[in-house]
Amino acid sequence: MTGTPRDQRTYSERDVVDFVIVGSGAAGGVLAKELATAGFDVVVMEQGPWLQSSQFMHDELAIEQRHDLLNIAEEPYQTFRTTEAETPRRNTGLNLRYLRGVGGSTVHFAANYWRFRPSDFGERSRVGAVPGASLEDWPISYEELEPYYTKVEWEIGVSGAPGPFDPPRSRPYPMPPLPIKSSGVLLERAASKLGLHTQPAPFAINSHPRDGRSGCMACGHCANYGCEFGAKSSTLVTVIPKAIATGRCEVRTECTVFRVDTNEKGRATGVVYWDGAGRERRQRARATILAANGVESARLLLMSASSQFPHGLANSSGMVGRNLMFNCYESTFGRFEHPLNEYKGAVAGRIIHDFYEHDPARGFYGGGGVDARFPYNPIGFALGILPPDVPSWGPEYARALREYYAHTVRFTGHITSLPQPTNSITLDWEHTDRRGRPGLSLTYADHPDDRKMQYWFQAKTQALMEAAGASKIWNQPIAPSDGSVHLLGTARMGNDPRKSVVDRFHRAHDVPNLFVCDGSSLVTSGRGQPTMTIQALAFRAAEHISRFARSHSI
Amino acid sequence: MSDRELLSRRGFLIDAARIAAAGFLIADLQLLSSCGRDESRTDSSFAHLTDAEARTLRAFAAQIIPACDGAPGAGESGAAHFVDRAFGMPLYAQSTTVIRSGLADLDARARSALDRRDFASATGAEQIAIMRAIESTPFFANTRTLVIIGTFADPSYGGNRAGAGWALLDLEHRPTFSAPYGWYDAHAAPDSRAEPT
Repeated sequence: MTGTPRDQRTYSERDVVDFVIVGSGAAGGVLAKELATAGFDVVVMEQGPWLQSSQFMHDELAIEQRHDLLNIAEEPYQTFRTTEAETPRRNTGLNLRYLRGVGGSTVHFAANYWRFRPSDFGERSRVGAVPGASLEDWPISYEELEPYYTKVEWEIGVSGAPGPFDPPRSRPYPMPPLPIKSSGVLLERAASKLGLHTQPAPFAINSHPRDGRSGCMACGHCANYGCEFGAKSSTLVTVIPKAIATGRCEVRTECTVFRVDTNEKGRATGVVYWDGAGRERRQRARATILAANGVESARLLLMSASSQFPHGLANSSGMVGRNLMFNCYESTFGRFEHPLNEYKGAVAGRIIHDFYEHDPARGFYGGGGVDARFPYNPIGFALGILPPDVPSWGPEYARALREYYAHTVRFTGHITSLPQPTNSITLDWEHTDRRGRPGLSLTYADHPDDRKMQYWFQAKTQALMEAAGASKIWNQPIAPSDGSVHLLGTARMGNDPRKSVVDRFHRAHDVPNLFVCDGSSLVTSGRGQPTMTIQALAFRAAEHISRFARSHSI
Repeated sequence: MSDRELLSRRGFLIDAARIAAAGFLIADLQLLSSCGRDESRTDSSFAHLTDAEARTLRAFAAQIIPACDGAPGAGESGAAHFVDRAFGMPLYAQSTTVIRSGLADLDARARSALDRRDFASATGAEQIAIMRAIESTPFFANTRTLVIIGTFADPSYGGNRAGAGWALLDLEHRPTFSAPYGWYDAHAAPDSRAEPT
C-alpha cells in the first residue's frame, strides 16, 4: 500500500463498514486517516474526482475564469437573498465556493493556518448577549483543543514562528516560516511606526522538504490553484495517502451522497448515493460521519428528512443550516515606488494580531487580524484591481497596468462574522441538479457589528498603508457579504440540544451514531483562516469517536 | 508590418522579458516612441472570425491596451486570436453574437460618420471617439473583457504571444522563484528580517 488511488482497498456494498465519512476535505481527510489508523474500516464518499499533483497547472483562464477545479458544472444552482422576505435571486453558483474533489478545498486554499485563541471559545460569557446574534460559548476550551492544534501542525505540516500575542502552545512549529516578502517588510515598517507588532504568517505549506513532500517552490499559485509540487499541505497529499496506506480505507470518488438512512430505532444505517454513472447505491456503516463542509453537510441533513425526522435529520433544535458565518474582511490597496513582485511566493509573509481581541471600548463586537497580500494573477488584476480613477482602457490604462502590477499590495483585515439564526442554507426543491439534489438557497445579511468592524479595520489598514509609505492608496469598497469560501456554523456544537446540533464530541444530539465535523461545527467564526481549527476539531473528534467505538458506546 | 519586422519584434519581446527579469530596466527603454499605434497583425489564421471582423477587432484591441512606452499591447499579444478561439469555447459562447454585431456596428459607424472604409481605416483619434460613444454597451464590456483575457491568458489559448502580456506587466514568467522576491525584501536590513522576539 503506497497510498495511491490504484492500490487502495475496496469494500463491497454488502459490507457493513465501521465508518462511512461523507467528504474527503479538511476534516474528512483527517478523520479517515485517524480512524483507519486506529483499526477501523472506513469508506470515504467524495463527489468529485481524485486529481494528482502532476495535474495542477498555472492556467489562470482554466482556474480563475472557468473554475475547472471547483467542478460545479453538474450543480450550478444557487440562489441568494438577504432576508426571508425577499424573493431568492439565482447566481452563478460561485457564491458558496468550494472544491469538489479529493482533498476538498484544502487543494486550492491559500493555507493560512492561524490558531484560534482562548478568548474565541468563551466570547458569549465575556461579551454578553449581542442583539440579533446567536453568540454562544463553545462547549470546549482552547486548552482542550491545544493538543490537536499541535497535531495539525506536526501531522499536516505547518510552517511558522510564534508571535507576541499567540496562545500557549505545547510544541514549537515543526518548520520555520516561509521567507518574508516585500509586503512583509513594508508591513513591518508600518507596524513599528504605529507601535504595532508583526509576526511571520503561519502556513500549511512546507518551508523545507518534509514528510516525503517538497518544500515550497514559491511559484505564487497557492490561492485557487492546486500545488503541483505537493508542498502545500492539502489533505490530498498528507492524510489521505496515509489513510489509504493503512489498508483499511477506501476513498470512493465521483459519488454523490443524497441521503443518510435511518432505521426505526432512529439510528443511522449508512448513506445512499449516486455513483459516477448515476446509479443509486448504498453504503452501510455502523456510524456515519458528515464532513462535507458548512453548506453540504447541512444540505444533506435537511435532505435526510423522514417521517421520524420531519424537519431534517438531527434537527430537533431547528439549527441545521442556521448560524451560517463567512468571516468579513476589508482591504486597502497601496502602490509603492519599487517593485514588490507579490505574485511570487506564498500569499502573505507577515501578519498583525494586535487587534485580534474583542474590545468593549470600540462599542461593538468583533476583532481580527491583518495581513499583506496581492493575490491577483494578470487577468484578474487587469479586469478589476486598478484604482478607481484609472481609465478602464486606452493609454493611461496600459501604463497603469505596468506601473501597478508588480508594485501594488493590499493590507487586509480578516474579521469576525457574528452568528445569526436568520443567516442560513435552505433547500430549493424548485431547482434541482441533474440528479435531483435541491439547489442551495442562501439567506445572508451581515450583522451591523460586522459592518462596523469592517470600517474600523479599514481605518487601521489605511493608517498602516500610509505608514508604509505608499505613493497611492485606495480602499476596496465595503459591500454586503453575498457568499464566501469560509462556510461555518450550520450544525453548531453545544451542550444544549435545544440550541445546537452536535455535542462536544460532534455527535448529533438526536442520532447517537451520526457525527458532523467540519466548518459547520464552529460556534463562532474566529478571525478568518478557519481551516486550522476545523482540522484540530477533526483530530480531536477522531480520538473521541475511536474511544466510543472501542467501548461500544456509539 | 512585414514578416521580418514581426520576427524581430518577437525577438524584442523575449529580450524585453529577459531585461525585465534582470533589473526592471524596461521602463527606461524607449523602443516604441508613442502610445496608441495600430500594431494589428496581418496573418489571417482565424477559425471563427471573418477577415473583416478580425481586422476590426484587432484595431479595437489595440485601443483597449495600446503598445506604450516600449511595452507591448493587446495588438502585439495577438488578443484577437484569443477572441477567435473564445468563440468556440462554451465558457464564452454567449458573447459571440453581441461581439459579432458590435464589430459590424463599429464599421458602420466609421463608414457613416467618417466616410472611412471600415473602423480599422479610421485614425486613432477617430477610433477612440467611436469607442467612447459605445463605451456603456454590452458589446464594449464583453469585447474589452475578452481582449484583456486574451492578452494575459496562457499563450496556448492563442493570445499573449511570446509572453507579451506578461512582459507588459513586468511579470517574470517562471514556474518557480526564490527569495528575495522584490526590491523591499532584497533591500531590507538583516535585523528587520530576523524573527520577532
